[in-house]
Amino acid sequence: MLAIPDSWAQDLTTFPSDLSMPYTLTPGRAAGTFVAEVKNRRIVGSRFASGTVVVPAQDFCPNTGDSDPELVEAPHTGTLNGFTQTDAGIIALIRIDGSDVDMTHRILGTALDGLKVGQRVEAVWGDGEGILAIEGFRIAANAPQGEIRPLEAPAKPVEQIPYRLDLHYEHAFGPYYGRLFDEIKTNRRIMGVRTSDGEGALLPPREIDDITHKPTGTWVELKQTGTVRAMSVIHLEFIGQTQPPPYIYAEIMLDGASTRLIHNVGGIDMSRAKELVKPGTRVRAVWREGERTGSLADISHFEVIDGEE
Amino acid sequence: MARHVGIVGVGQTHHARRRTDVSQAGLVREAVDRALADAKLTIEDIDSVIVATGPVLFAAVNQPEKWVADAIGARLKPVVRVTSGGGTGLAGALTGYYQIAGGFAERVLVVAYDKLSEGALQYSISTLYDPFWGREFAVGIMGFSAAYWRARMDVLGHTEEAAAMVGVKNRKNAMKNPYAHVKKEITVEEVLNSRPLAWPIKLLDVPPISDGAAAVVLSSEKAAAQSTDRPAWIRGMGYFCEADNAAQRSMLVSEPLALAARRIYRAAGITNPRRQFDVVEVQEPYTCFELSYYESLGLCAPGEAAELISSGATQMDGDIPVNPSGGCAGANPIGAAGLIRLIEGAAQVMGKAGDIQIPNAKLALVQSGGGWANLRGVAVLSA
Amino acid sequence: MTVPGDPHGGASGTAKGTLMTLDRVAVVSSAQTELRPAWSGAQHIDLISAVVAQVFKGTGLTLEDVDFVFDSGSDVLDGRSISNCGFLGAMGAHHKEESRVEEDGLWAAQYGVTKIASGAARVGLIIAYSKPSESETNAFYASQCEPFYQRPVGFDHRAASGLQAQRYLADAALDLSALARVTHQRWSDAARHGKVAIDKVPDEAAVLADVNAAAPLTELMLSRPLDGAVAVLLASEDIARRVARPPVWVTGMGSASDRHAFASRTPGRLEACEAAAAMALRKAGWQAAKADIAEVSASSAASELMVLEALGLAKQGQAISLLDNASTAINRSGGALPADPIMATGLVRLAEAARQLSYPAEYGLSAATSAIVHGAGGVGMQSHCVFTLEV
Repeated sequence: MLAIPDSWAQDLTTFPSDLSMPYTLTPGRAAGTFVAEVKNRRIVGSRFASGTVVVPAQDFCPNTGDSDPELVEAPHTGTLNGFTQTDAGIIALIRIDGSDVDMTHRILGTALDGLKVGQRVEAVWGDGEGILAIEGFRIAANAPQGEIRPLEAPAKPVEQIPYRLDLHYEHAFGPYYGRLFDEIKTNRRIMGVRTSDGEGALLPPREIDDITHKPTGTWVELKQTGTVRAMSVIHLEFIGQTQPPPYIYAEIMLDGASTRLIHNVGGIDMSRAKELVKPGTRVRAVWREGERTGSLADISHFEVIDGEE
Repeated sequence: MARHVGIVGVGQTHHARRRTDVSQAGLVREAVDRALADAKLTIEDIDSVIVATGPVLFAAVNQPEKWVADAIGARLKPVVRVTSGGGTGLAGALTGYYQIAGGFAERVLVVAYDKLSEGALQYSISTLYDPFWGREFAVGIMGFSAAYWRARMDVLGHTEEAAAMVGVKNRKNAMKNPYAHVKKEITVEEVLNSRPLAWPIKLLDVPPISDGAAAVVLSSEKAAAQSTDRPAWIRGMGYFCEADNAAQRSMLVSEPLALAARRIYRAAGITNPRRQFDVVEVQEPYTCFELSYYESLGLCAPGEAAELISSGATQMDGDIPVNPSGGCAGANPIGAAGLIRLIEGAAQVMGKAGDIQIPNAKLALVQSGGGWANLRGVAVLSA
Repeated sequence: MTVPGDPHGGASGTAKGTLMTLDRVAVVSSAQTELRPAWSGAQHIDLISAVVAQVFKGTGLTLEDVDFVFDSGSDVLDGRSISNCGFLGAMGAHHKEESRVEEDGLWAAQYGVTKIASGAARVGLIIAYSKPSESETNAFYASQCEPFYQRPVGFDHRAASGLQAQRYLADAALDLSALARVTHQRWSDAARHGKVAIDKVPDEAAVLADVNAAAPLTELMLSRPLDGAVAVLLASEDIARRVARPPVWVTGMGSASDRHAFASRTPGRLEACEAAAAMALRKAGWQAAKADIAEVSASSAASELMVLEALGLAKQGQAISLLDNASTAINRSGGALPADPIMATGLVRLAEAARQLSYPAEYGLSAATSAIVHGAGGVGMQSHCVFTLEV
């Protein structure tokens, strides 16, 4: 058990971060055909050379890895092989008649205590996207035993499905980032810590020196002037971008610091950006007016200090 | 004492800007089928599987090896995912290498892929940055890469013209690579006049965004004969890192790459890389990086990369051909790119590189890397 | 054809028992943070650097002796891509060989053992960590399911655990009180050993009365995600014999992965766990029941019993009897039910088992010479990794 500093503050705020990533996913032939046909109320399965039938359709046999299955039409009926209830509702293992493996889907219309393994079920159709065109399955005691049939005139597989991954985070500041951003917010000071040999200063501050893995030294306030170490002129536009181009991406060594700070250099005629800002250009932090956020965004940008090299 | 490990089968997809006919799993399967066929084996002969892909956010499936394992036919075999940014493919091969060298397996299938058309590439790469410290300024890794190229311009003379020559060479080489999908020759002027994206990086300095997969079969010495009488032997392979914001980190010569090269050259008995290697495959995410690699790999001294590319030495018919395959300029499914470089190097020393074969190639150098230019690997392959 | 999980026994003309002598590899030290619901006052790097600093204590080794760092963490849990890239300094990896194994840390240890066994390295540092408190654990697991069939219907790791439990209880003819017993026992064990933050050990009634998680499982019957980090130092024989404590030898390793879709797996069994255990135990040359110590991971109280059976510690459906009468000390650390630092859980098991072999008295054991260690990954525990340890 380790004594990690946990005494910084009791009511710690966190740093929220949201990642919301758009995708277009390709399901491939089997799932793509399934998605295309399920809108037509046809359930597509795969029959592999071994005879194994997998519903819903897969390009690869989960048992053997066999490929290139024949696509077949599966019945809308099956047997309940297992069930559970989570926040998402009742999730069941359903064996579609003629399939050799179960599938997972929802059970609708019956409470948990009305369910028994072995009950007959049938599909409930809805108008959701993809597999949710089957809204779920319901108990159907008299559901006839269905069978696998050839898939007549299959629709073209759906090639792309829009998807979004939304991930939310509440990152801990920890003792070092906590003070760093408090100082930025409250005092407009940029604080680093001494390297373990005391020769330089690390920004952002941290407990352990990356090179020596020894504890870092005392806090030190860094100057708000520095030198551009590396820069590029951004013209590219992309999803998730936080400002319109053109702008200058810069890695800046603040005076007294041994590590880089990433920011923008602004306040210049952008059509002359590559002449006006170079490695070696001297810059100064310009603080943003208005509400302070306690983040690097409290610095509006860095401006060029005329006459210094 | 390490057991010898050889590459006995290789396979890759015909890479494309966008494959809408196969899922990620289907893409993986194509490469696996080709590698197994090349090794005259089936999946039954494989003891262990390594899956290497780029970051999860490229593709919306977390721990994707668990999904694509079905397509590989890997049920009840060891399957593990190794990931290391852009250098993932080589990092994955390294894991497979040690599974054999360390006695855990006789044959390992290493598969690497990315299906970049499915996600928002620059946005997802930007999440490499610390959420507190710099992410809002990130332009994928392009803004960063361009910035340090700009710094190397002043100190090492890596001019825009020299980088353009890299692009021209690699595009030309890619014309003959059947797996590349960018098939258009360009001129230095066209590169220089192309649209700036993150100046000094311009449109034609940038590789394509690709869907693609690659696979290799690694084998112990004993088991290799069943597949081929001419494996590509791994004489050394390593993957080193550098703390991303360590004090005084030099972005001029890549220290982790120089470190990897020194270690692996020593293991492989390389004392004069320029003279000893017959062929080199490097993973150049932008043209400027190839210049930097020349120096970090010791193909020339720091500051001489522009001269090396201008001299023609790294062309197909030069004394140290670099990227006969066309490198990333021809196809760049990022997570697979490092493994593709290894495959291209292996194909050269196995004598089956077809139209891009360097005559009589016996010793190949392979480089790969990723992250914040701080994860860097090297492999040396011999006939 | 090679028998699955048997790289050396197949008829394909591969090694067939002609393995060259490889270096022996030992666990020489470990360190872990307390496992807490939330380390709200520390960042990932604080947890990581703390265990890295600690792991050398008493070994005579320093970071300079370390040849490589292999680490396990998750981009999705960490909220950053290639997250190892930002933590290299904290991991002590600067200018060393480093690789990220994006799976439980026990797989990173497996990689580390092969590297040392090959003779290419002598000392390896294995690190695993996570801070699930900073993200949504459900998103971490749900995003592992393929996105076309499983994710849209709300299937996730909780549903998988519930389905697994329903089947297991039916097959073993047990009722839910058995799972309450398991849960209570493991929380009690964890509380006794002080590495897990526990306010109050729930009694069996409290376990049964807890809110529904995935029927029939209550929330307490699922493993509890916690924040924490663990570091393990591996070394070759020559180094291991020089350090202060008796070396704990890795004598067998195995791993295996099952079909992706939970619904397509063989119901009622953990076949991949069986395959992984068979592989490790074949190398070790003994049966699981011979182990003095077992440290296993599980996603729920039911799956813990399934793991114990798959490893061979009990016959199918009979693992519950191990609570009353077992020659093997099982999960004296408490296991994963009270403390599941995702990505690190299996490596914590390795650290715990090695510590119990080194200091059996602290765990109420008179003597112990062998241990079996288990880690798992994926929804419904698709993947399994098994180590055998001996002193």
